[in-house]
Amino acid sequence: MAAEKPHMNLAVIGHIDHGKSTLVGRLLYETGTIPAHVIEKYKVEAEEKGKGSFAFAWVMDSLKEERERGITIDIAHKRFDTDKYYYTIVDCPGHRDFVKNMITGASQADAAILTVDAKDGVMEQTKEHVFLATTLGINQLIIAVNKMDSVDYSEERFNEVKEDVSTLLKMVGYKPDGINFIPTSALFGANISESSKDTPWYKGPTILEGLDQFTAPEKPTGLPLRIPVQDAYTISGIGTVPVGRVETGTMKPGDKVTFMPSGVSGEVKSIEMHHEEIPEAVPGDNIGFNVRGVGKKDVRRGDVTGPASDPPTVADEFTAQIVVLQHPSAITAGYTPVFHCHTAQTACTFLSIDKKLDPRTGQVSEENPTFIKAGDAAIVTIKPTRPMVIEPYKDIPQLGRFAIRDMGTTIATGMCISVKKR
Amino acid sequence: MGEVVAVIKIMPNGVDVDLEKLKENLAAVVPAGIELNGIAEEPIAFGLVALMATVVVGDVEGGTDSVENAFAEVPDVESVQVAEIGRLL
Repeated sequence: MAAEKPHMNLAVIGHIDHGKSTLVGRLLYETGTIPAHVIEKYKVEAEEKGKGSFAFAWVMDSLKEERERGITIDIAHKRFDTDKYYYTIVDCPGHRDFVKNMITGASQADAAILTVDAKDGVMEQTKEHVFLATTLGINQLIIAVNKMDSVDYSEERFNEVKEDVSTLLKMVGYKPDGINFIPTSALFGANISESSKDTPWYKGPTILEGLDQFTAPEKPTGLPLRIPVQDAYTISGIGTVPVGRVETGTMKPGDKVTFMPSGVSGEVKSIEMHHEEIPEAVPGDNIGFNVRGVGKKDVRRGDVTGPASDPPTVADEFTAQIVVLQHPSAITAGYTPVFHCHTAQTACTFLSIDKKLDPRTGQVSEENPTFIKAGDAAIVTIKPTRPMVIEPYKDIPQLGRFAIRDMGTTIATGMCISVKKR
Repeated sequence: MGEVVAVIKIMPNGVDVDLEKLKENLAAVVPAGIELNGIAEEPIAFGLVALMATVVVGDVEGGTDSVENAFAEVPDVESVQVAEIGRLL
């Protein structure tokens, strides 16, 4: 193999039946990721059973059977190469109860393909996943207007869907002009790796060409250090060891760090990753580090580590833009659900609902509404019931997003706009 | 429709925890309807080892909550966090 290509994490998002899995399968198939002998085996089987023309569907079914027999359960293996990059692909769950996992989880997507069924157009989860993509800071998107075979590859229908999706994208701040909208049929392989004869009116890139137009992500090493503490330990002979993942910035032994909201400071003595001492920790590293001058009781889950000279921001209040995914009734001032932000889980009170946004245009539709409900986007003012670290999204996006949970369900996602410091 | 595979990171509450015993205890509490597909060890730092449990859950309401809560109740578990998530092909 040639020199290693840059790596990208790709999320496939969209409404549940809009062909995400088929698209993932098709990408793996056409990039040769599914081993040739496996495909050959299934092709032969498909022909024997008179299903030769649907070899791809057959491969999908067979892989599913194989996995039901417990053979191929490994999400890390969903990899494929384009000319420029190698991609790790994540097919995002459709149900909104997984949103929390995607916001606080480890694997961050650098780019996304949004699938929209050409027949159905924009559906509920299409909206939710577009909001999620923004919240996750995914700023590179391809829109696959999929299942074009079901609308006879109609240019008119493609343009209608494109228009609707563009409206939705504009609302959350994307610029549709810079985004590739590609008419696809994942099932039949239209415009995935080769331009389709069925869409002579379409002159743009295929999915694989579109993926090569993305730019490689840069690690956020230029931002201030932020390490949300997952757990803190006392290890005999070593001392206090906080454990967590570096979100932004870098840290070296000798650095003076401060934990917030605890407010304690100390000096980093040593850093380990995979049980090996490392000279510097960078974003994405899962590390444990030993800090001089800090007791175990001083640091706890949900604290955030930062430089002593630029400590993490503790909010007295903050304003945020939220999208309500589901709520049995209405959300009003005084409501106090739990906010999941980095490793912290903090009950927070809605002090006021400041603006309701029109889901079609993103413009303010109502000032100081008395309530908001499922499907609404709004600007709100929030007060944590105890000190918590949150950063404005525009400064440190990794520390500015959250999921709101209540009674065992995820009711909203959001991004912090500004913080009134404590 | 669709099934979701999640990798759940379980941190033990110290370096002296018997990881084999912990794996058994975790396996024993996996709720009905959720499939456990192995628990791997991942070294972290200073002797701390995380357990990475791969589970398969439905793409339905509740998500990974029931299995996360069940793991959190197991003795010697410090914390439980979903590290990776994605639908199965």
